[in-house]
Amino acid sequence: MRWFKHQKHSHPGYTANRMKSTELPLPEQQPIALSAELSMNESLLKETFQGCSDIVFRVIESSPKVLLVYADGLIDTKTLDRTVLTPILYYGKPDGLNEAPITGQIIQEQLVAAAQLQTVSTINDVIDGVLKANVSLLVDGENKSVIADLKGFERRSVEEPAAEVSVRGPRDGFTETLRINTSLIRRRIRTPKLKMESMTIGQVSRTDIVIVYIDGIVSNTILEEVRNRIGRIQMDGVLESGFIEEFIEDTTWSPFPQIQNTERPDIVCASLLEGKVTIIVDNTPFALIVPMTFWTGLQAVEDYYERSIYTTFVRFIRYSLFNIALLLPSLYVALSTFHQQLIPMNLLISIANSREGVPFPTFVETMLMEFMFEGLREAGIRLPKAVGSAVSIVGALVIGQAAVQAGIVSAPVVIIVATTGIASFAIPRYNFGTAYRLLRFPMLILSGLLGLYGIIGGIFVLIIHLVGLRSFGVPYMSPVVPQISQSLKDVFIRAPRWSMTDRPANFSGDNKKRILEGQQPNPTQGGAGK
Amino acid sequence: MNRTRGRLCLALSLLIVITGCWDSTEVNDLAIELAWGIDKAPNQKLMISTQAIIPAKISGGQGGGGTEEGGASAGKPYFVVASDGMNTLDAVQRIQSKLSRQVYRGHRRVIVIGEAMARQGIKDILDTYTRDPNLKLRTDIFVVKGNSAKNFLNVSYPLENIPALGVLGEYNQLGTLMELGLMSFLLAATSEGTSPTVPAVAIGMSPPSKKEDKGRSPADEEGFRIAGTALFNKDLKLVGFLNVEEGRAMRWVSGRLKKITVPAAVPQEKGNVSMDLYKIDRKIEPVVQGDNIKFLVTLTGGGAIRENNTRLDLTQTENIALLEDALNKQVEETVLRTITKVQKKYGTDVFGFGETIHRKDPPLWNSVKNNWESAFREAEISVTAKLKVRRIGVTGPSLQLKPNEIKK
Repeated sequence: MRWFKHQKHSHPGYTANRMKSTELPLPEQQPIALSAELSMNESLLKETFQGCSDIVFRVIESSPKVLLVYADGLIDTKTLDRTVLTPILYYGKPDGLNEAPITGQIIQEQLVAAAQLQTVSTINDVIDGVLKANVSLLVDGENKSVIADLKGFERRSVEEPAAEVSVRGPRDGFTETLRINTSLIRRRIRTPKLKMESMTIGQVSRTDIVIVYIDGIVSNTILEEVRNRIGRIQMDGVLESGFIEEFIEDTTWSPFPQIQNTERPDIVCASLLEGKVTIIVDNTPFALIVPMTFWTGLQAVEDYYERSIYTTFVRFIRYSLFNIALLLPSLYVALSTFHQQLIPMNLLISIANSREGVPFPTFVETMLMEFMFEGLREAGIRLPKAVGSAVSIVGALVIGQAAVQAGIVSAPVVIIVATTGIASFAIPRYNFGTAYRLLRFPMLILSGLLGLYGIIGGIFVLIIHLVGLRSFGVPYMSPVVPQISQSLKDVFIRAPRWSMTDRPANFSGDNKKRILEGQQPNPTQGGAGK
Repeated sequence: MNRTRGRLCLALSLLIVITGCWDSTEVNDLAIELAWGIDKAPNQKLMISTQAIIPAKISGGQGGGGTEEGGASAGKPYFVVASDGMNTLDAVQRIQSKLSRQVYRGHRRVIVIGEAMARQGIKDILDTYTRDPNLKLRTDIFVVKGNSAKNFLNVSYPLENIPALGVLGEYNQLGTLMELGLMSFLLAATSEGTSPTVPAVAIGMSPPSKKEDKGRSPADEEGFRIAGTALFNKDLKLVGFLNVEEGRAMRWVSGRLKKITVPAAVPQEKGNVSMDLYKIDRKIEPVVQGDNIKFLVTLTGGGAIRENNTRLDLTQTENIALLEDALNKQVEETVLRTITKVQKKYGTDVFGFGETIHRKDPPLWNSVKNNWESAFREAEISVTAKLKVRRIGVTGPSLQLKPNEIKK
């Protein structure tokens, strides 16, 4: 980021240069108006769709002629037959209109029984409509076209999200279809205040994205920032929300994700109610939620479905485990090679015993095992299910058992690496956990070089980095740094829901109250005690 | 600009990489020593012996290479290296020449001092034990009664793999407070009104009896025992020993006892009782009568009757009072005997009587502190015990007694 800043300073004409150099090879075409002559429109369209074998041109020889243009496979042909072809070909015009010629207006108002119809007047809109899985009807003698929404492409049904499983809570997850995803949100929040701003990004892919927020709850500065950052994106294709994420995050040079992603509609809705903004991208089940703070990385969806006492306990465990995931291997290396006096005597003796005859220094040994563990994990993800179990057996046997028995690694290191591995999987957000798995290695190197001083130094740098990090203007460590005590009810503990009366103060808008105070369960209120 | 920055980053990271790890040591490059012996050597020299563990021979781990069954191979899991030298570190340097691994002193738990060395005085050799940041003040100090520290370190102990841990265990079972061995020794050595004591150990599980052949060498003996307490004077020279019972009494008076079992005969009943004391305290009151200094020692404690070999029914309060009288008498007698023995025989104030004057009457202390040891010899001391029976166990009279034998 700093690098860019320098470039910016050194070239005064930077902005102008940038605009010029980033002009993409597919510039926006000048709109061409539809002609009244069908044959002209047809030839123009055919020229545009030259070589596109999936675009179907269907001419109906009625009077006047009607041309249907659609992309094969994207539309529901059965519905097309029933709602468009049958009325035009067999039944003809409704009574009383026999004499009138078929015009666009008649088609739109009388003939086509489709829920969404739209009249356009340029070739470009027709092309757009066809590519967006609509049927375009062109009538001879009309300089307008009717775009009928008859989407019927193959779509995955709503399933349980594979990456975010919960024991309690709704089982539906987002799919690859934008409209299904928005419907899952709309079903949960039934208010006209739930806004879904549509945008198209990608000069080539022309991907639909939707910015979702709740008007009145969202912070307008954050919303404006989201609009701005997304509006600036100039790229050819958006295939996944990750494409956008890298453009709109605050800094790339951080291992910590500054944008949360999820495929659970319940997480999206909970975030919307807290005042966050969600970005849904077509063709991917992963929605982006901004802003993200450090603590959301450690909160699981079930925290809000289970009772607060249990959740608080689980959070305590989770927070301990994420420290273990970051520090355990480096602490082991630091203590056993620099600060042996800090290890309890009996433990030191047993470590010394198991290290007898091990060929590598502790640091190399730990590094090797961590490397193998990461490799095993990476291999396990990509492999087909049938092979995956074989890999885990080989991994457990080779790394765990044989390496120790052969005296190549010592047993404590295997225990340390295994514990660390388990701990790193206890971090609920996958992309947040990767940050810790990544940071483990620099920490390990620091501890191998400098012992506890290195670890402390590493933690310092990490904290400084985290405190300086922001996500859409919201400090990453808030509400802890800067401290907002009211919002601390949902950080280290999870207070009962009736007591979390205010929305998180660090990012929500002006409308703060979400729960009426004084709803604590009380036997005398219920009447049972009277 | 960028290139400078990059070079700077490179230089900084080289700074870490090149200088880093200079003091890192692998655990298997260390000779972890747990016990340390100091002996007198000829020509004003010191003999230092160290008991280091052999990690591969400690059972439970994977051992070297994992070929052997069960991990522990034959032989002791420790060995003793000794060398003499002008001072401690000189000796250590000579020891190091006999060891393939670096001597690691950070986990030393026990320092044993041979009797001869202790009698010569240890004032001149203590500095290194507090100067080295790796050493802990928690290290416990023992004096080997009647033998050298080196011989002591060579003795194996049946219950523990590493004999040094055996000494610590035995000592902890005596019911003393957790002590910071070396530190309390130094505190006592530097304070004006008390003299330091350290526990004494002796080789062999049972005290030597006259009948047994005396030809057995100490190396054949297995195990060791706490043999009482070694008393030092203000010059940190060993002046004598107390036996275990007297040692406990001494600790009670000086306030370092946590638990004790007091057995007492009950003359009225021709039986005896034992009481476990656990709330133990003491108070020392100095009284000045003219030139004489008198100390009133009050010992208090509460506990439970654990053994009652009399016919008394302990649910009756008058019987409890009877027992308390017997116990008090027993304690007073033991403690007074101990104090008198120390006063008359050794004349070193290990109880901290001087310290109580120091606190209570500083002007008086200033006048007596210069010849406090002789003043202590002449001080009159009276001991009062006030023990309180708090529990009697689950039964009043002994259950094996017939009803008519029980004395209400």
